[in-house]
Amino acid sequence: MLERVVALVVLAVAGVYLRLALALPYGTTARPGPGFFPTLVGIFACVVGAGMMVAAFRAPMRARCAHAAASETAGRTRALSTVVVLVAFCALMPWLGYPIVAFGFVTVLLQRLGSSWRAAGIIGVVAAVVSFYVFGVLLDVPLPRGPWSS
Amino acid sequence: MGPLEGLAYGFTVAATPTNLLACFLGVLVGTIVGVLPGIGPVGAMALLLPSTFALHPATALIMLAGIYYGAMYGGSTTSILVNVPGEAGSVVTLLDGYQMTRKGRAGAALCIAAVGSFVAGTVGVVGIMLAAAWLADLAIRFGPPEYFAIALGGLLLLSRLSGGSVLHSFVMVAIGLALGTVGMDTVTALRRFTFGSIALSQGVDLVPVIMGLYGVAEVLLLAEQGVAKALIVSVRVKELLPTREEWRRSWAPIGRGSVVGFVTGLIPGPAAVLSTFIAYNLEKKVSRTPERFGHGAIEGVAAPESANNAATAGAMVPLLSLGIPFSPATAILLGALVIHGLQPGPLLIVQRPEVFWGFVASMYIGNFLLLILNLPLVGVFVSVLRLPQHVLATLVLLLCLVGAFSLSNSHLDLWILVLFGVFGYALRKLNVDASPLVVALVLGPMMEKTLRQSLFITQGSLVDMIARPLTLAILAIPVMALAVPPLLRLRRRPRTATAPVA
Repeated sequence: MLERVVALVVLAVAGVYLRLALALPYGTTARPGPGFFPTLVGIFACVVGAGMMVAAFRAPMRARCAHAAASETAGRTRALSTVVVLVAFCALMPWLGYPIVAFGFVTVLLQRLGSSWRAAGIIGVVAAVVSFYVFGVLLDVPLPRGPWSS
Repeated sequence: MGPLEGLAYGFTVAATPTNLLACFLGVLVGTIVGVLPGIGPVGAMALLLPSTFALHPATALIMLAGIYYGAMYGGSTTSILVNVPGEAGSVVTLLDGYQMTRKGRAGAALCIAAVGSFVAGTVGVVGIMLAAAWLADLAIRFGPPEYFAIALGGLLLLSRLSGGSVLHSFVMVAIGLALGTVGMDTVTALRRFTFGSIALSQGVDLVPVIMGLYGVAEVLLLAEQGVAKALIVSVRVKELLPTREEWRRSWAPIGRGSVVGFVTGLIPGPAAVLSTFIAYNLEKKVSRTPERFGHGAIEGVAAPESANNAATAGAMVPLLSLGIPFSPATAILLGALVIHGLQPGPLLIVQRPEVFWGFVASMYIGNFLLLILNLPLVGVFVSVLRLPQHVLATLVLLLCLVGAFSLSNSHLDLWILVLFGVFGYALRKLNVDASPLVVALVLGPMMEKTLRQSLFITQGSLVDMIARPLTLAILAIPVMALAVPPLLRLRRRPRTATAPVA
């Protein structure tokens, strides 16, 4: 089932890409325009997507495991919470500034992955301060400082 | 400048205090990264790329390459002592390496791995000196059609060799090529696939993509697997010396592994990993006692460890002489050169000899440093494994985020990092190799440029473009690699089908 879904997604994305590529000026074969190469890539992607689709529908359907093991579910939850914390970091950094978001990111993630709140908080403070000093101060990276900077 | 003259000049560049320090830092970080399971050399190189912006191009290249070949040394330590490969190139080493540890010969295995890596690294550097200079001379005669053929052929070969289904590899290639078309067209300045975003006009940067696919995805897998504590064997310095019999058994596998590794490194694909399997199987075939393999045969450590180091050197040849990377690690080195305003390719040796020869000479120095570092300090490196993995993973993730942002101070790079991190994680779960995507993303813009130039030169004639002796010869290799195995299978099938009847 998964193979079929993946093949369908690949084919759909390839189709959208080809549609957008065809809207670009193609030029001629002697003077190729900006749409020439993307069109070739789009056709290639569609052919590969179609090939995947055929292969997925020709292959026998594999039986799906009804219940995932508890450890597997816990693992997936940890991975998912890591993604959520990463997304939160990207979304909040422009508003709250790097130091606070970095502290929150390290603290929450460490706690989710097995550290105590206290240990996670201490490592969070050290990581946020050291990384801000190294990148923001020593290497001059303009890290957002948040609403508290003047 | 001849190879020996060039090498002598290279040593004057590589032996400056700054470059020596860069080389030392590179191999040190590489060894640590190699020792730690989960964090590969590609992720570490991508992570440290922004910190090399302020350095001289030769210094940056020396440091980043040091991480790459240093990781091959470090990876063997974890394989031998913990039965977990430190990085993918050390998977084969654990078959016999860990068995040697169980027999109390861990020190000998580590010593042979380090000496084998040193010899192979040195052989590989000699190979670079000779092959890269020769290939660069040849490549001066290449025009756009030849470069297009090399890029196309490289991608086709990579799809065949990267493991797993060819169809999956082609999907990765298509995604990489499509990503390479995002941004401003270099000829007409038309914005393509940017959806109105000014930040996307610059195109999709390679570094956040690699950091996501290799760094973030790795951390997500670590998070999923949870905290695991490794059982670590301690080794004392005096236990490191192999017996005379072990030395005798190791020299030939080290030699064969070095040659196999270097040649495999020249081919597109996961050369460091592939070379270890080829070298291991070769040793098993030539051995009079193949039954010892898998039960602690020293040849099973010497050959793959030599091969993976020689392969890293071999992979540098197409990068330095043609400006074409065939692996994610060399793609990062290419990115580093381009960021510093250098155009890797046949003219690099002539126009910037200090970068080319300084880099080659630094590999000699780096291999020597690794030999000194790895043997006496093996206990220190192994103690890195005692760090809680989830703490390390979290800190690596924070570094990835700051590193991605610092590339062009853009929030878009952060989102690209996270997006490709999740994508890379999904690929690992589906057992799909991401390296064709990375190489296609690097080669895509070059393919487009050379294809358009070629068609312009030949007035749109594909036949004129392909019917050039060099282009035909270059394209013949991947076509044969793709077509011959299915044809052979087709020829064998009727025989196997009729076998029961006969």
